[in-house]
Amino acid sequence: MSGNQVILAVDDSASMRQMVRYTLEGAGYEVVQATDGVEALDFAKTRGVDLVLTDINMPRMDGITLVKELRGLDNYKFTPMLVLTTESGPETKMRGKQAGATGWIVKPFNPEQLLATIARVL
Amino acid sequence: MSPNPLDIAATADTAALADWTPEQQIAHMLELCEAQMESAMCESDLAVDSLIKAFSGLAESASSLNAMASKLTPEQRKAFEGVDLKKQMESIERQMSAAIIAFQFYDKLTQRLGHVRYSMSTLAMFVCDRSQAGQRDQWRRLYTTLKRLYRTEEEKQIFNMMVEGASADEARDHIHQSTQTIRIGAAGEIELF
Repeated sequence: MSGNQVILAVDDSASMRQMVRYTLEGAGYEVVQATDGVEALDFAKTRGVDLVLTDINMPRMDGITLVKELRGLDNYKFTPMLVLTTESGPETKMRGKQAGATGWIVKPFNPEQLLATIARVL
Repeated sequence: MSPNPLDIAATADTAALADWTPEQQIAHMLELCEAQMESAMCESDLAVDSLIKAFSGLAESASSLNAMASKLTPEQRKAFEGVDLKKQMESIERQMSAAIIAFQFYDKLTQRLGHVRYSMSTLAMFVCDRSQAGQRDQWRRLYTTLKRLYRTEEEKQIFNMMVEGASADEARDHIHQSTQTIRIGAAGEIELF
């Protein structure tokens, strides 16, 4: 059930944020966006979100650090956090897993598969 | 009395010749390639922004049409006799999904070209420093630094192939095989921890 659930989409690429927003809003989710980890962290501290979908390589704060920082906050200990990235190397995946990521999606994402994955972890 | 313009030109030529080294010429050519790439990327960014805006507009229109179609009364539906509205909407949705996947390859392209540009500027600085460029160990360090830069599987594969001695033709074959995968619209893998 996606009614009123809020997803924080974090990516420094405007076109990626647009594609994610289109996909998720079409399925009834509310999408809030941030362009890097610092902006995402500030947002998450002021407003609760139900799921975080983040890129890795971003200016100021990368996605893995963001996941780690969020997991340190009481409100986000159990929030699903998915990494959406072009990287698929086992070492980077392991770093993501250790930081507390819930899952790993390699770009380009397929809209149906992304929605199915989100529905599964929410 | 003002200086003779020919004298100024001659002085400039002499200064340029004094600075002339093959390394500087290589660095300059690399910088030129980098500038050309940046120019092309800026142009295509603008074009892709327009495309994405157009896509968003189409997506909104499709969504409105879908909502309107679902509210049609049986009498109104009769006016569309022979047209399967549901099927048409499903077809639009499929095409939108394909467009979303295709747009993401542009994002990937921008990222990859950014890495190539960084490699070029690093190499330009490196070749101008004779104390580094003349040492095999320093070249090895440069390769290691550049290797860390390449993050997608495709980049890593091409880098490894070329560093391990693959010919340009072999690399080209590999690239064409990867392109086949893109043509069939393959999305990335998903793994839950």
